[in-house]
Amino acid sequence: MRAWIVALAGAAVLAALPPLTGFHPYWLYLLTTAFLWAAVASAWNLLAYAGQISFGHAAFFGLGAYAAALLALGGLSPWTAGAIGTVAGAAGALLIGIASTRLTGAYLALATLAYAEVWRGIALNWTDVTGGGAGLIGIPALPEIAWLPVALTRGRAGAYYMALAHLLAVLALFAFILRSRVGLAFAAVREEEERASLLGLRPLGWKLLAFALSGGFTGAAGALYVYTVRVVEPDLVFNRYYSILPLVMAMFGGLHTWLGPAAAAISLYLLSELVLHPVAPALHQVGYALALIVVILYWPGGLAGLFSRKRHARP
Amino acid sequence: MPVLEGRGISVAFGGLLALRGVDVAIEEHQVVGLLGPNGSGKSTLFNVMSGLLRPTAGEVWFRGRRVTGRPPWVMGRLGVGRTFQIPRPFSGLSVFESVLIGVTFRGRDRYRRAADRRSEAERLLALVGLADKSGARAIELSLGQMKRLELAVALSSRPGVLLLDELASGLSPRGHEEVLLSYGRLRERGLTIFAIEHSFSVLARVADRMLVLDQGQIVADGPPAAVLASPRIAEAYLGEEDQ
Repeated sequence: MRAWIVALAGAAVLAALPPLTGFHPYWLYLLTTAFLWAAVASAWNLLAYAGQISFGHAAFFGLGAYAAALLALGGLSPWTAGAIGTVAGAAGALLIGIASTRLTGAYLALATLAYAEVWRGIALNWTDVTGGGAGLIGIPALPEIAWLPVALTRGRAGAYYMALAHLLAVLALFAFILRSRVGLAFAAVREEEERASLLGLRPLGWKLLAFALSGGFTGAAGALYVYTVRVVEPDLVFNRYYSILPLVMAMFGGLHTWLGPAAAAISLYLLSELVLHPVAPALHQVGYALALIVVILYWPGGLAGLFSRKRHARP
Repeated sequence: MPVLEGRGISVAFGGLLALRGVDVAIEEHQVVGLLGPNGSGKSTLFNVMSGLLRPTAGEVWFRGRRVTGRPPWVMGRLGVGRTFQIPRPFSGLSVFESVLIGVTFRGRDRYRRAADRRSEAERLLALVGLADKSGARAIELSLGQMKRLELAVALSSRPGVLLLDELASGLSPRGHEEVLLSYGRLRERGLTIFAIEHSFSVLARVADRMLVLDQGQIVADGPPAAVLASPRIAEAYLGEEDQ
């Protein structure tokens, strides 16, 4: 655990350097997006840790993005808009989480997929509020923070550091959960729900907590994404990519492990954008498909499984 | 007043009547055995008494409180613990973690300090003879060890009444002896036990009272010797075993 903390602190210090060392804005954008993907994959994994498989994280991401965009255009500060975007993601997740009282496994997964599509449909058709298919533009950039050195908040640096801080917050919370009674309850509900309930655990409460945390962090990522690209469209933020890729990233990194999904998300996203996209733009997402095939056929424990024989690694 | 009581319990699965107006009362500190052929409704009765199944008719009472149809987590917190005939381990968790769950989330006598919870889990594992398997994954245990883990998990919630579903089934003669030892230890602790076993010989050595269920109805109720003395019971259900 201590070695992991030192390694993570070292990685965080390294990750803090790019904006200070004159990285090209495009590179900062790529890294910002990679951190957001890593946060969403970790948030997806947090829900999976409680045994709930979602194909609908696009709903939570899109709700956070639209809530933040609408409030930002209404003149609210990014902090307030981001906080409400987080709440919107959590509320959206709680709503579908209630379905978990009746649905489990593949049935719940399909319900979450349909749920995300419903929200995409609403965003596409509720033109007066969402701008319809054209979306909303003109979202202001994150403001510079007066008491911080300008280099830390100017241009893309602000969104970069916010995305990094958000990822670290997700990882810190997950580390805490893994070592706490919350993690024990999540694991018990995941492994044998009926058996767990006979021991006094109320499964629905723990599932809803997992949905709210996962949806909240995904909604916050959606809000940060809006401040990164400064535009929001239904096909951009409610895209099925946000439902499917976190699953692929989490499985490739190591299901239920602490760092695996985040490491896999950053690796796979940068591989796709920096290596595959320049070579074969139409096939740049083939990396995700190959990763999934490799995990299913050869690495059931994912990347984390290569480093540890324990499937449910503790930090 | 009985600790756990079923009054007129009936359960229908479509057109099949699995239980027909079963009355059963488990008194404090008693060990009550439940015997019956396959399909007689024994596990269905346990499912009703532990909240996993809502009866079609009838009532369940726990310490003078009507608890019919209460969900399993409420029954668990009230103090009804149970094991399953086919063990249902927390497959991905360690043996220690499996026991820690009940110790952490039980409805009463909770420990505030994590160290106390851990030592209680270790004590329970020692009680069932699995102290040396603490770090193993539950799914890696043998059937006999898994049954002992079932018992430790059920005890971890500190139940007021324990429903044991065929602890001895599928075990070797040595396994049977270990189960008998476990029953003996539980008796010494004054636990109230309602136990299903296929083996009359196991139940006869541990039970104060025995019920026989056949086609969803109680057909005998009394001390083991009296039940065995009933010609109908001996002939229909116990004859082969006693030979």
